[in-house]
Amino acid sequence: MLTYFIIVPILIAVLLFMLSHVKAGRAIAILFQAGFTGAAFYLFTLSQQGEILTTIGGYESVLGIVLRADSVSAVFVLITTIFFLIASIYSFHEKDSRLFWFLMFLWQGALVGIFLTRDLFNAFVLIEVVTIVVAILIMFNRDKRSMYDGMFYLMLNVLVIKFYLFGLGYLYRMAGTMDMEVARLALANVDRASQLLPYALMMTSIAFKCALLPLFSWLPKAHGSPAAPSAVSAILSGLHIKCTIYLFLRVQEMFATVATHEFFLVIGIITAVVGFTMAMSQSDIKLILAYSTVSQIGLIFTALSMGSYYSQIGGMYHIVNHALFKGGLFLGAGAIAKAYGTRNIHQIRGVLRRYPLMGIATLIAILGMIGAPFFNGSISKYFMVSDTTTQMNWILTFLSLGTIITFIKYSTMLFGKSDAEPKADVKIPVEQQISTFILGALCFVTGIFGLQSIRFLFNATVYIDALGYLEKAGIFFASLIAGFFIFKYFVNTSDFLKRLGRFELGFRSVCVCIGVFFAALLLTVGVL
Amino acid sequence: MNTGILNTDLIELICILVFFLGFYGLIATTNVIKSIVFLWVMEMAVIMFFLSIGYNIGIVAPIGTDLVPGQVADPLPQALMITTIVIGLAVTAVNITMLITLVRKHKSANWDILRKKSSES
Repeated sequence: MLTYFIIVPILIAVLLFMLSHVKAGRAIAILFQAGFTGAAFYLFTLSQQGEILTTIGGYESVLGIVLRADSVSAVFVLITTIFFLIASIYSFHEKDSRLFWFLMFLWQGALVGIFLTRDLFNAFVLIEVVTIVVAILIMFNRDKRSMYDGMFYLMLNVLVIKFYLFGLGYLYRMAGTMDMEVARLALANVDRASQLLPYALMMTSIAFKCALLPLFSWLPKAHGSPAAPSAVSAILSGLHIKCTIYLFLRVQEMFATVATHEFFLVIGIITAVVGFTMAMSQSDIKLILAYSTVSQIGLIFTALSMGSYYSQIGGMYHIVNHALFKGGLFLGAGAIAKAYGTRNIHQIRGVLRRYPLMGIATLIAILGMIGAPFFNGSISKYFMVSDTTTQMNWILTFLSLGTIITFIKYSTMLFGKSDAEPKADVKIPVEQQISTFILGALCFVTGIFGLQSIRFLFNATVYIDALGYLEKAGIFFASLIAGFFIFKYFVNTSDFLKRLGRFELGFRSVCVCIGVFFAALLLTVGVL
Repeated sequence: MNTGILNTDLIELICILVFFLGFYGLIATTNVIKSIVFLWVMEMAVIMFFLSIGYNIGIVAPIGTDLVPGQVADPLPQALMITTIVIGLAVTAVNITMLITLVRKHKSANWDILRKKSSES
């Protein structure tokens, strides 16, 4: 049954590519996306009762490929389909639509495949498919800059996947299988020393694809690419990056004897700090969001590596939340940039007055992002800090202060007046407003019904201490005020930040970074 | 019967060396075409490593019907590597297509020059 979730989107992709009737193609696309969402929902409810297994070709799990939907992967599949449905509604009138729909459906099939498969080699094949699809989508509206960005993205991702494959070779030699579950059991009996190299190789690759600290240079180029349709940027930032976090969780679990959590905790914190510093210093709205993704990924890694049950739940919930609000923000940013004819944050003003629905959706997403009380970000951030040391508590408060400052800057475009007002007749298409608003509304719903959502999604019963939540709200308002003043008197005027914002690494420097990261990881797991 | 001079440890060592040689090449060269070639060098190292997994002295290829279990090379890594080679080919084709477009536009295949010219626009 699970095979259909992968194969049907790919078949529809081919069908849509052959179909020359544009309107019919659109209708089929939306219809099938709605159907997938329903099917994924059904799968999700089924997986709550027990894991669903499909063995491809009838081979047993050691030899063949096993698809498995457990409670974690079913959540990811559900988010994927919902996200693609909303993105499809948003890009209903996308030009050059045959190629666009072809790539979108291919992308969806491969992403769902990565979430469902238990075979690491199968995952490798799907990641390669996804990489090519994304590289083409990044430069979809061919312009001068995006060709280089697309090539940069493709070459680097092809490079790091070699590391993954090499590690996989070692894994196969030790464990005799590519299946995650079987390999995990087999690796428990293998001595620690021989696991170091494959772990470091595979983790370097996965960390690159998650855009951890020295390796994040490709992300803003890819996610903030001016040539990519907004829906593509939204999926890239909201969802695509999560598929490697998912793989990270799986591989970390598999190499339980060598896995290092401290290393990723430290790297996560540094990534978050660097991410929001870079985000603050951008003036392009898409780039602000892209760098903010880097910082949120750092935050998620920090939460997932802290090791307590509550922070784990918080991290997982933040993955879902980040998909919702970052998706909403990217969709909004794309439409707003198109309406105003510019992507410069200093020239866009008065969105709330001019495009009320879009403005409100963006505002809700921002509130979710910075973790305002009653919005979804506050719930996940509450759980991240609820079970840790005071030290970690302060670090996380600092990280969310950074996010607040970034989004105070971002929200300046909602208010005020400026010269670059759009012409009166520029309208944002209705379907774009609606789809953005749905994501915004979801941020609010998953915030109000936070505990219920966590119980629904992760089957975990958690409680919020009212007093503790109130305290967090107090901290939030304090950091909001502090953030406002820091923004006004430092970020807005600093020359240093402006210069920092233009900093980027070339291809060779990124290669050096990959080498350094690999060496550092190998040393950490080898020495400690 | 294969008497075999190479043992698997030596092959492993060679693979690691070639892999990181290719990686060094990526850092050292500024030419995009050479970068693509070095990617293939890395891939070849990985492929060789995979093929050496199933190999041992005295083991025969898994072809035919009258085979003794335990004396046959593991066919799975070889099947996987065929997939890898095909994927590598496809990725290289896409890479070169992009490169051709870039070279036509900027008249250069140098990473640094391409980066500079792309960010000017």
